[in-house]
Amino acid sequence: MAAVPRPRHFYTEPERLDVGEVRVAYRRKGEGQPVLYLHGNGFTRMWLPFHDKLAESVDLIAPEHPGYGETPMPDWLGGFDDLVLHYDEMLDRLELDTVHVVGYSLGGWIAAELAAFYPRRLRSLTLMCPAGLRVPGQPAPNLIAMTTEAVWETLFEDPSAAESVMPDYESMEEVVHLYGEATAFARLAWNPQYDLALERRLRRVDCPVLVVRAEHDRVIPDAVADRYAELLGARIERVAGTGHALAVEQPDAAAALVLGHVAEAA
Amino acid sequence: MSRLEFWLGQVAPYPQIPTGEEIESAWVTLPNSSYDPAVGRRLYGDYLEQLVLAERLGYDGVVVEEHHQSAYGTMPAPNLMAAAAVARTERIRVAVVGNSLPLQANPLRAAEEIAMLDVLSGGRIVAGLVRGTGMDYYSSPANPAWSLDRFWEGHDLIVRAWAEAGPFAWQGDHFHLPFVNPWPRPLQQPHPPVWLPGTGAVEMIERAAERRYPFMMVLAAHWFVKAAFDRYRQAAEECGYQAAPEQLACAVPVYVGSSEEAAHREARPHVEWLFRTGLKVPAYHWFPPGYMTKESFAQMLGTKAEYEMKDHWELTYDELVEQRYVIVGSRETVIERLTELSDDLGAGIVVGAGGHIGSMPHEQTVEGMQRMAEEVFPAFRG
Repeated sequence: MAAVPRPRHFYTEPERLDVGEVRVAYRRKGEGQPVLYLHGNGFTRMWLPFHDKLAESVDLIAPEHPGYGETPMPDWLGGFDDLVLHYDEMLDRLELDTVHVVGYSLGGWIAAELAAFYPRRLRSLTLMCPAGLRVPGQPAPNLIAMTTEAVWETLFEDPSAAESVMPDYESMEEVVHLYGEATAFARLAWNPQYDLALERRLRRVDCPVLVVRAEHDRVIPDAVADRYAELLGARIERVAGTGHALAVEQPDAAAALVLGHVAEAA
Repeated sequence: MSRLEFWLGQVAPYPQIPTGEEIESAWVTLPNSSYDPAVGRRLYGDYLEQLVLAERLGYDGVVVEEHHQSAYGTMPAPNLMAAAAVARTERIRVAVVGNSLPLQANPLRAAEEIAMLDVLSGGRIVAGLVRGTGMDYYSSPANPAWSLDRFWEGHDLIVRAWAEAGPFAWQGDHFHLPFVNPWPRPLQQPHPPVWLPGTGAVEMIERAAERRYPFMMVLAAHWFVKAAFDRYRQAAEECGYQAAPEQLACAVPVYVGSSEEAAHREARPHVEWLFRTGLKVPAYHWFPPGYMTKESFAQMLGTKAEYEMKDHWELTYDELVEQRYVIVGSRETVIERLTELSDDLGAGIVVGAGGHIGSMPHEQTVEGMQRMAEEVFPAFRG
């Protein structure tokens, strides 16, 4: 397989860490409280202004999930339990007993699972526009069954904000790479697109939790974030002037909420 | 003389829908409020009639295909149509190009139904095992990311269940069955012939050649079918044998008219419906994630770009004829083109040979089948 293509903007060379037989690509910057950031189903291979903002105040560790970005897809990837064990092992390899965990979208789902399985590893949990719970009567739109134009319109409140992070769809290498990332997503969340057991397991989480949702999220219904907040007894904050892609559309506001929560829990 | 087998192909389209330009897709999301069961009843009657007629006209076989949530083909359960065809015929072989194994929770069900059909029909069944189209993964709970694995495991289980006396235990990656012991067993021993239909993905072609299964290439341009068949022959040679023409089938709609001009005039709207409306499928429905390996996805994009291939629904009638997606013409033209399938491609089987095309009315289909049988078949039979 050819080398992983690079996005047009915001690419930085990742560090590598062997976790089991997977060579994880990750980026790490900053000092202070260790914060593990789990990305969503996209925006890979990039160090964004949002990351920079966080790294000004904390020790930010941003790995790419198996099958995403420059972390290869292992044969064993089949479910969220695989990722939970993977990140537990990665924290061991980094010699970090406890961390703050921040998860965005798909990464929010992974973060919630991690917190339910290993509650004692978390100093705090921040879920940004998280996926993973079922809200009856409110199915999420199927982004996989859409044109790329429609996907990007749905992700953002202001489509012009998408310009700098939009993949180069003219590049065949990039399109093939994204098909691979979508395959990783399918392995995890094609069916069902929620985890009913997670609802029951979330009561095990015993760190401070913040749920952040976007003012105009058209990807994941607001009711999912509300349900997380309800089940976790968490505070919920809303970021104005953004669609689902809040880390790109409102990096400062999103980062400020995360940093405030981390500081409070530290 | 070139020799060819002729199999009638049947997908059971439902043509009374808006045109391809007016809809996002003829599959998955086309509102089923467009389906009128009273019209559907007449269509099923016509389609079944055509399958029965194929026997009287001396076709070598009939093929019924499985499609889901689609106006292109309204046969989600092709075994049911095969059962109806078997009940009304005596001798003709019936190929079920269906039983999409990865879509089913229990592959043994397909083994049972095919065995049942085989016994009912007196051993006339061909099992064309398939993965289902990409679209089917939006119409079922099956995960496209496990499609290839589940297909081959399901296949291995089914073939063993037919060929080997039970009970035995199956401990697979995707299926666990402590007692595999299907009743009935198929009449054809060790099992009904298996065909593997495909759209050209190399991994399917190679594995078909390894197992000596006939490979059936579906609705593609002449040069593309040739490349696929060359790959099959090469894979066969690597396995130490020479591929026979009976191992290479191509599905190509054929229409014989009373003259060149009449043939095109009569066939054109129905060929256009088939490709430009029935096959109006956006790329995101064709290729759900993981349905193809990254390698074959890259290869497909590369081929499409290199040869500037269009999607089915973008092809004009003239392009469809020129690139031999379809064969339309007078008796002489059709014989000439079919001879090329045999001589250039090395094909031994033509599926869709003069049968129903897209939105074609029943009477016209019957007349086309009759001309095909009377005027064309003799040129390929000793």
